[in-house]
Amino acid sequence: MQRDARKGTESTPQSSRRGPGRARAPKSLGSYLDLIRDNPAEFRTVSRTVNPMNFDVTGLLGVLNQRREYPTVQFNNPLDMRGKPSKFPIVTNLWGTRERCAEMVGLPRSEAGVRLGTLLCERIDRKQKPLVIPGRAAPVQQNVLTGKKADLWMFPVVRHFEMDLGGVMLMGLIAKPPREDFYNITFVKAFPEAPQRAGLTVHTLHMSRILREWEALKQPCRVAYVLGHHPAFWLGTLNNTPWGDNEYATCGGFLQEPVRLTPSVTWGKDFLVPADAEIVIEGEVVPGERTVVNPFGDISTQYQAQQLGPVMVPKAVTYRNGALFQDVFSGHREHMLLGSIPREGTIFNQLKHKMGIVTAVHMPYSGCARFTAYISIKKTEEGQAKTAGLQALAHVPNLNAVVVVDDTIDVFNEEEVLWAVNFQVEPRRDISVIENMRPTSDPRALGAARVIIDATRPTHIAFPTKLKVPQSAMDRMKLDEWLDPANAGAAKGRAR
Amino acid sequence: MSGGMRLWWSTCPKCLKAFVVAWELRHTKRKLICPFCDHRYLPEQSAKIDERHAD
Repeated sequence: MQRDARKGTESTPQSSRRGPGRARAPKSLGSYLDLIRDNPAEFRTVSRTVNPMNFDVTGLLGVLNQRREYPTVQFNNPLDMRGKPSKFPIVTNLWGTRERCAEMVGLPRSEAGVRLGTLLCERIDRKQKPLVIPGRAAPVQQNVLTGKKADLWMFPVVRHFEMDLGGVMLMGLIAKPPREDFYNITFVKAFPEAPQRAGLTVHTLHMSRILREWEALKQPCRVAYVLGHHPAFWLGTLNNTPWGDNEYATCGGFLQEPVRLTPSVTWGKDFLVPADAEIVIEGEVVPGERTVVNPFGDISTQYQAQQLGPVMVPKAVTYRNGALFQDVFSGHREHMLLGSIPREGTIFNQLKHKMGIVTAVHMPYSGCARFTAYISIKKTEEGQAKTAGLQALAHVPNLNAVVVVDDTIDVFNEEEVLWAVNFQVEPRRDISVIENMRPTSDPRALGAARVIIDATRPTHIAFPTKLKVPQSAMDRMKLDEWLDPANAGAAKGRAR
Repeated sequence: MSGGMRLWWSTCPKCLKAFVVAWELRHTKRKLICPFCDHRYLPEQSAKIDERHAD
């Protein structure tokens, strides 16, 4: 029997008012799912019992991926980490297509290419001051568990890949530095090694710095681990913003409405948490303590090595009625798009600002949408491609390779890009290796060198051009007028 | 191929499956955890160690 996972969730005055002339409900994961849940190409449910620790979740997603289908999937009846039925349905694969990502931020599907990346960059500057509401009005505090009831093993934590150390929670950690008043939000992996203890892996400079600053003071770092919010909220956390940026305000720009915050159960107004989240774990990162985390199959589609990571101890778990447990299909389309689209926008804007010749930027799936960028430029002189490549490397530090092509090449079409690499690159001149850059945190165990490939057509020497069927000839071809009907053509072929 | 994160492979002495480990855990007294059978053991107790590295 299918469970209505959201039944009873819209019980607060703010979220129950809908329709013309009334205040719109604050954006949440549930309000987003309402937009796609009637379209089977975008949203599917699984009502049979699944054991996420036994790969039931990633097994199903893996089969869909092989079929090149990328719907958001809601597993209504998962087991928890003890193998018992969990009250929290799993929702995963939110960001599985560029078109869905466009809709999440209010763009039409037709603008899921270059425009999507640049829009996300524009949203960084459209910050919205968060709105603080009391806990009694905050959906996320409709249920509060403290002490030993703040139990991480009650969640349907997913074990994703066969060499993973165990189940991993893959959503966002929120923290503040000790001497400054801003919130950083970062995707952080949490391995619940015991009901009240999780090992963390942190891969961003700002969150690492916050944890280091608290540790230097020998004080616990207060954190909120958020399991589920509107997908545009998360897109707001993934941008290359400077230290000191209050990411709650940035996320408001992406949501196009203020993020509603509420005082945490544990620290009150000293630490605010998202009021419209699904689940919040309030906890502390213990200074000086480390535990074993990983392996884990991450963005490069390889395993990150077993290592030591900081330890989070939960103080309280709060959740809305009918809360959903959000997960990410790591190393697959949604994980790739989640980070690549904002980075594409970052590179595009930087190049537009500095050089003015960029026409498109794409980070392809073949580079796991993190490690390679294809950039097209309207080249006017030699050397511009390498300059563009250096700018991209400077602004997106985890890039390994940048391929720069002419604006006649569609950077979203990898065949065209690789054609340019094959036929317009003289390796000794056009491939530049940049030595001794900062190593990325990816697990490939390669070095700290980067490569820029200038695959633009040389302008300083006589050089062939690409063949072209006259556009005028293609424009006058109406296929249904020129092609015989399929059956007639087959009959004529046989008659000869 | 230098300057990147150094890795090594440990083969679990109990289930004999291998997994990848960061270099920070190669010479410590911290026990590794086998992701396949949850066995905990010291690095030198590995059934096999592959620590080849390109310098």
